[in-house]
Amino acid sequence: MIVAGIDGGSRTIKVVLLDTASETVLASGACDQGVRQEALAAALLDRLLGGIGRSQSDVKRIVATGYARHRIGIAQRAITEITCHAVGVRRQMPGAMTILEMGGQDSKLIRLDGDGLVRDFSMNDRCAAGTGRFLEVVAARLEVCLQDLGPLAASSQSPANISSTCVVFAESEIIGLLAGGVCREDIVAGVQRSMAQRIAAMAAGNPEEPIVFTGGVALVTGMKAALETALGKPLMPASDPLMTGALGAAILAGRMKE
Amino acid sequence: MRAPPARIAFEQWDHRYAELLAQGLHQQPYGGPLRRHLQAGDSRLAQLCYDNSPAALRLWNFLLSEEDRLRQARAAGDVIVGTMKDLGTVPVMVYAMDHAVAFYPDGAWWTPCMMHASPCDLALAAAAGLDESFCPVRAMAGAFLSGRRFPRPDLLVCSAGATCDDFSAIAGRLETLRFPIFWWEICARRHPEAGEEAVALPGGGTAPRSQVQFVAGELERVRAQLESAAGQTLDDAVLARGIQAANQIRRRLAEICRLVFGSKICPMPALEMLIAQMLAIHFCSDRTQTLEVLTDLLMEIRRRIAAGQGVLPPDAVRIYWVNPVADLRAMNLLEDCGGRLCGNDLMFAHATDEIPEDAPPLEALARCALADPMVGPAHDRAARICREARDLHAQAVIVSRIAGASHCAFEGGVICQRVGDELGLPVLEIEVPSVSDALAPSLRTRIEALIETARRGAERSRT
Repeated sequence: MIVAGIDGGSRTIKVVLLDTASETVLASGACDQGVRQEALAAALLDRLLGGIGRSQSDVKRIVATGYARHRIGIAQRAITEITCHAVGVRRQMPGAMTILEMGGQDSKLIRLDGDGLVRDFSMNDRCAAGTGRFLEVVAARLEVCLQDLGPLAASSQSPANISSTCVVFAESEIIGLLAGGVCREDIVAGVQRSMAQRIAAMAAGNPEEPIVFTGGVALVTGMKAALETALGKPLMPASDPLMTGALGAAILAGRMKE
Repeated sequence: MRAPPARIAFEQWDHRYAELLAQGLHQQPYGGPLRRHLQAGDSRLAQLCYDNSPAALRLWNFLLSEEDRLRQARAAGDVIVGTMKDLGTVPVMVYAMDHAVAFYPDGAWWTPCMMHASPCDLALAAAAGLDESFCPVRAMAGAFLSGRRFPRPDLLVCSAGATCDDFSAIAGRLETLRFPIFWWEICARRHPEAGEEAVALPGGGTAPRSQVQFVAGELERVRAQLESAAGQTLDDAVLARGIQAANQIRRRLAEICRLVFGSKICPMPALEMLIAQMLAIHFCSDRTQTLEVLTDLLMEIRRRIAAGQGVLPPDAVRIYWVNPVADLRAMNLLEDCGGRLCGNDLMFAHATDEIPEDAPPLEALARCALADPMVGPAHDRAARICREARDLHAQAVIVSRIAGASHCAFEGGVICQRVGDELGLPVLEIEVPSVSDALAPSLRTRIEALIETARRGAERSRT
């Protein structure tokens, strides 16, 4: 039986196709999020199904997650990304006790019990500081690609001090730092450190290990190290951090009763 | 034919109202279609979801017609007393007198649709120096200045001392705007020390005898002021009768809560429960009608329970809710996300607990005032919340912060910690601003995730 998980994130849509009999991922992919969210998700699903010689009629069930989950009408059920990430991580890293998920518009710290079920969770409150959006704003302001932020930060000699409370204020700070002659490398490293400190505050000091790092921001080099420094604990990146939520959604689609 | 219980949208109430009229709906003078309140400017009513019973319609009509009652009271020459900050103590004294009504000016902060329909009240408050850095109670100052929400009261009574900073600042500013206030002091409740006599308070706590005596002394001053304003004697016998009448309402409300929160099905939505509980604070300017409105609601609830008909799916997750919300849609959202209210602490438990009838009236009221969860340690409140959440079989707890309200800054954390440690329940702290539109997706995600977490926990404990 083929089931699908669709993660309608704020920046990208992710789809995972799962064969429940063999418990293998048949295909996965991502595309940019846009205005026509359902059409984009359906097109991505069709593309992945086409790649394995299948069509939507072969998909038994679909679960949607992510902030657009209620707008994806082709899904039979919507489940929050908090639950889906927990299920996805449990599949990839069964012993995980904490998940740190950093997405495009929010960040979450999810505490699990020994069975991989969500015990409780914290999310960033209102402001986009501490999320992928912060990195996008910084990249645009520094006129670099998002994927170049990591290498830039790695070559920093002295990370700048940047406030972590508000993206808008932080952007103003960056303009001031640039005007003061601070190099881009130090600014990017400062931003990563500031984001990591914000997440560490959300973790309230003592997240239980092992801690798994998921979400699109986990693909940005330098963030893992910055978070490990702020938390004082090692992080394990998920094997495919962008897809963890969609994977969890697909697994839950497979578990759904008729 | 009786329609099955359901939550219906505002637009559906037009049809439902016509249906009820055709069935011979008996209405009070404040009755009528819900739509009339929308046309009067309460535009946010259109965004809420309602219970479809005639009892719920009466509840809403009663709530939303308070302004009319206050103006009628003024026209009839009754004494109008604005009771500020104090929730549920001074109103009991006022209503003990003849031809006197109390109302709750602070209620302007949450009065449905206030924030949407009357932005100029907030602008007036801001012009008086009470900008958005103050909690939503600043709407009260704007309402006083505009004179549109309620008539100018004959007497304003306000408690000071163990009250939140924002409120004190706002009330203090109001007085300088030529709205004289009679102040009385409520002390910060503490636990009796060794050797001190402990007095039992409604709700299960205790306070030192000296504190009860102090507050009773303050209420004695309030009594004298009320007697002077109303030209009547408010002796102990009159007060005792007032306490008995208030307790009748509190018992009715307690029965409603017992049935709704304890029932296997959910016979009444969270929003109507919140409104019903709010009536207990000051009786919505008519104590007699308050009792009748609640009696109607209770009968409807009993009918539904007897018929096994609820308004929510039977597997709705039982949520204990802490604090009232500034945007009433949050109560709808809880149910839209798969939850149901199984208990709550709306910061005025002392206004719903029975007032002792076996003590001298002012001492009884002093005990009631000292039981206010907001005048005591946050840990006391957290302990009561845990006790109730456990007794009511809550599966999760939501602590709803009030944006800008200083008394909540740390209390939420204390409550969350205690619920987690003592009950091991999933707990969520959220902030619900007066207009929550921008935060709606984020609030939905959090509440849905909490409910999913509670549901999976319950499934696991079953297997």
